[in-house]
Amino acid sequence: MNELVLEVTDLVQEFILRDRGGGKAGVVHAVSGVSLELASGESLGLVGETGSGKSTLARAILQAPPPRSGSVRLRGVELVGLRGRRLIQARRHAQMVFQDPFGSLDPTWTVTRLVQEPLVAFRVGSAAERRRRAHELLELVGLDPVRYGNRRPRQLSGGQAQRVAIARALALDPSLIICDEAVSSLDVLIRAQVLNLLERLRTELHLAYLFIAHDLALVKQVSDRVAVMYLGKLVELGPAEALYRRPLHPYTVALLASIPSPDPEAPREPVTGTIRGEPPSPIDPPSGCRFRTRCPRAQDLCASQEPPMRQLADGHFAACHFPVNADAPAPEATAMSH
Amino acid sequence: MAAPTEGLVPGVLEPAVVAPPPGEEGRLGRLRVLGGIWLPALLVAAIFFLCFVWPIIGPVPSPTGGSILNSNDPSFTPGHLFGTDATGNDEWSRLLYGGRASLEVALAVTAVGLIVGGTLGAFAGYVGGWRDGVIMRALDVLIAFPALVLAVAIAERLGPGELHAIWALSFFSVPAFGRLARAATLRVREQNFIAAARLSGTGHVRTLLRHVVPNILPELITFALLGMGIIIVLEGALSFLGLGIPPPAPSWGNMIAQGEGILSAQPKFVLLPSAALFITVVSFNLLGESMRARWTAR
Amino acid sequence: MTAPLLELDDLRVDFRQSGHVVRAVDGLSYQADKARTLALIGESGSGKTVSARAIMALLPDTARVTGSIRYEGTELVGLSERRMRALRGNQIAMVFQDPARSLNPTLRIGAQITEAIHIHRQVSKAEAHDRAVELMELVRLPAARERFRQYPHQLSGGMRQRVMIAIALAGDPRLLIADEATTALDVTTQAQIMELLRDLQERLGMALIMISHDLGLAASYADEVLVMYAGRAVERAATQTLFGHVRMPYTRALLGAIPRLENAPHTTLAAVPGQPPDLATQPPGCPFAPRCPEVTDKCRETAPPLAEQEPGHLWACWHPCGLEDSAAEEVAV
Repeated sequence: MNELVLEVTDLVQEFILRDRGGGKAGVVHAVSGVSLELASGESLGLVGETGSGKSTLARAILQAPPPRSGSVRLRGVELVGLRGRRLIQARRHAQMVFQDPFGSLDPTWTVTRLVQEPLVAFRVGSAAERRRRAHELLELVGLDPVRYGNRRPRQLSGGQAQRVAIARALALDPSLIICDEAVSSLDVLIRAQVLNLLERLRTELHLAYLFIAHDLALVKQVSDRVAVMYLGKLVELGPAEALYRRPLHPYTVALLASIPSPDPEAPREPVTGTIRGEPPSPIDPPSGCRFRTRCPRAQDLCASQEPPMRQLADGHFAACHFPVNADAPAPEATAMSH
Repeated sequence: MAAPTEGLVPGVLEPAVVAPPPGEEGRLGRLRVLGGIWLPALLVAAIFFLCFVWPIIGPVPSPTGGSILNSNDPSFTPGHLFGTDATGNDEWSRLLYGGRASLEVALAVTAVGLIVGGTLGAFAGYVGGWRDGVIMRALDVLIAFPALVLAVAIAERLGPGELHAIWALSFFSVPAFGRLARAATLRVREQNFIAAARLSGTGHVRTLLRHVVPNILPELITFALLGMGIIIVLEGALSFLGLGIPPPAPSWGNMIAQGEGILSAQPKFVLLPSAALFITVVSFNLLGESMRARWTAR
Repeated sequence: MTAPLLELDDLRVDFRQSGHVVRAVDGLSYQADKARTLALIGESGSGKTVSARAIMALLPDTARVTGSIRYEGTELVGLSERRMRALRGNQIAMVFQDPARSLNPTLRIGAQITEAIHIHRQVSKAEAHDRAVELMELVRLPAARERFRQYPHQLSGGMRQRVMIAIALAGDPRLLIADEATTALDVTTQAQIMELLRDLQERLGMALIMISHDLGLAASYADEVLVMYAGRAVERAATQTLFGHVRMPYTRALLGAIPRLENAPHTTLAAVPGQPPDLATQPPGCPFAPRCPEVTDKCRETAPPLAEQEPGHLWACWHPCGLEDSAAEEVAV
């Protein structure tokens, strides 16, 4: 039985907005009570648009900065509340690959030095052993250490820089890698290369991924399960295939409808039927269900009562009073928590 | 070898600006390249050579202790390229030694500013919080005074002298570098590679020294070069007011002061140090500007 | 058949860069017709954005443009800045990718729209105001009258892009160029904006050139697709034709690299190795040769010309997919 690599419970992250005088002008509710689990070797996709809080969630999981409340257990160890050296030690099994390949690499360091950094920080092996391991890692991600080892990030292409970032993330043999829009800024063909690389590494090294992106098709292709976020909350969570074939939450339906299909023959339902208006502000989210202001199925209950996350199919959850495609019992009758 | 923007979707990271990096070349491109980094660097090197090295190895007479019998020799007298001053000192030698004094002050003040101010600012920017507040308020107090007024007040208190001039001007350079270092650090701190370094397990001290400092250094050095020009002028002003380097030791400032009285009779005593000042400041400025251009073009 | 609104003929754009010449656009030819959407698809370095800016004469001084760009018969290459300004924004308008950078953050959006109106028309302040509100409603900006007095930072990305479109439409353009106009937007917003553009096109009869790296977007919204690589057009056809039988291996690679919802999880994507080419050091032959799975020596020696090999379908390849080798030498366009 696969042990759980990551358990997130009721995670909350907020930011205080300051007005020009420095006083408190409002609170951004970036993440409002998110819970999820990731088993060892499993790949969980997290999809959401701007303002959904998905990137904030990733950082909160890594305690950078620490969340307002909630629990994060990495390989059984509680991260929330840890500081300094203890946090660094406990957190070493999780690594992150960022969206901007160049922003995540120090422009004044060489490739080899960058990849070695985690080994140096944790004092793994001797200098020679670290160097050797760095070369191994570069080869693992498809970069020739002789050709690229002494280059600076400025001398790399986007795809190459991202590979260096991945190599660095692998240095400490992590159990979990969080990819925060890791391929979104790469060209289409390079993106495919890097995705294939990530997939290969996943099976070879038995890694768990939390794959964050705004592209649902992309996420679905690389994940076992997919979670959908909207305005700080999880609205749907389920097996990738099931989410695609029988989406439960109206927002998921809208996302699916928005994806331009590379098949001109495919019937195109206009998106305007699935979603209305503009995303509301995370400073003042709507009462009850946060999606209700844009939902074509919203009713009075949606404004007064926040829908709980309920299991509506095998391993498939949604937070909606009036889910789509589900033979769910009427909302009033089911007050159970997930 | 592909350019760094290869493989990236435009708009998400790179501005979809059309001209490929680096280096702006237009019709004036050639001209700009010429004036680029080499010419000012050469000029600055020449100035340093003349002021520090040449007097030691070359046939340069002492700037003081001239015989009154030689006083006021005109230019191109054999042995005295620019003639002598009222007390018989070789003008060319005074220019060189005066330059040395001015440059020494400028270097020292810049070094103090860079090291003390730079460290304080980088530290404040990195740690944030109340420590940042305290340091910046302290620097703010210093910067609130108009630089020259403060320098004059301090120099007046301490009396004239090269060391005192350095002291006085450092009150100006430390907060200037401090602010800059802090702003640069704040910008660097937001970058993902700092977060990545922390995730890799790198401690705060190492992050500050190995990641932050190398990335703010170009900006600080550019500022230092531009600041050299300012400090030299300030020192000149101090000396002109009699608060910097005291005669008979020459400095461009006190040379101008001494020459002021006989400006109409013998303009060269003002023109020569002024020209030297001008050339030096412009050279440092050009060097600083071209380094800034090169650095931001990346 | 009516004359095309815009016609490019062998457009070339060179940049002088530290000594050598970079050819960003290499012999591009196409036509844009009224009430039709042409998609220019390519990755970074393909030259699609440079070619669009050449149309608008928005290139820096370092660029040298040769060839022909004819708008309604008028030659745009070499046109005086004064005459270009009369066309720019008026007849030919452009929407850029990042609305946050294209809008002036210190001006209210109403003011920015009326400013655009004033440039192209002699109207009173009141008339401009009414027209601005009309435009905002045209682009489906909710609460147009209230938004008039708001600043860009108070609007979401999608709304800002709508404002950009309103500004672009202020001069009643006959041709609208959308340069990665939806790349920086969320996918739901992207879909809404694309639908808006199509709808506007139908109502106003505009020609629309959409520039993107997203073939999926082209499939859903374009009538005709032109694929670019390393500054050249490598395939061009009506959308149905192109997606029906892709010929150029690069286009096929692009299609294969797009994740599909229909794919099962953990499907390996068909990925081509290598990097986009360095435009400064272009060897002879087909620019895609270093990465092409079908490459032969012939490809490395001679660049295949863009030729109409099948009715309505042009491509530049010696070994197109699904066909015998093309006899492109005879039929050059």
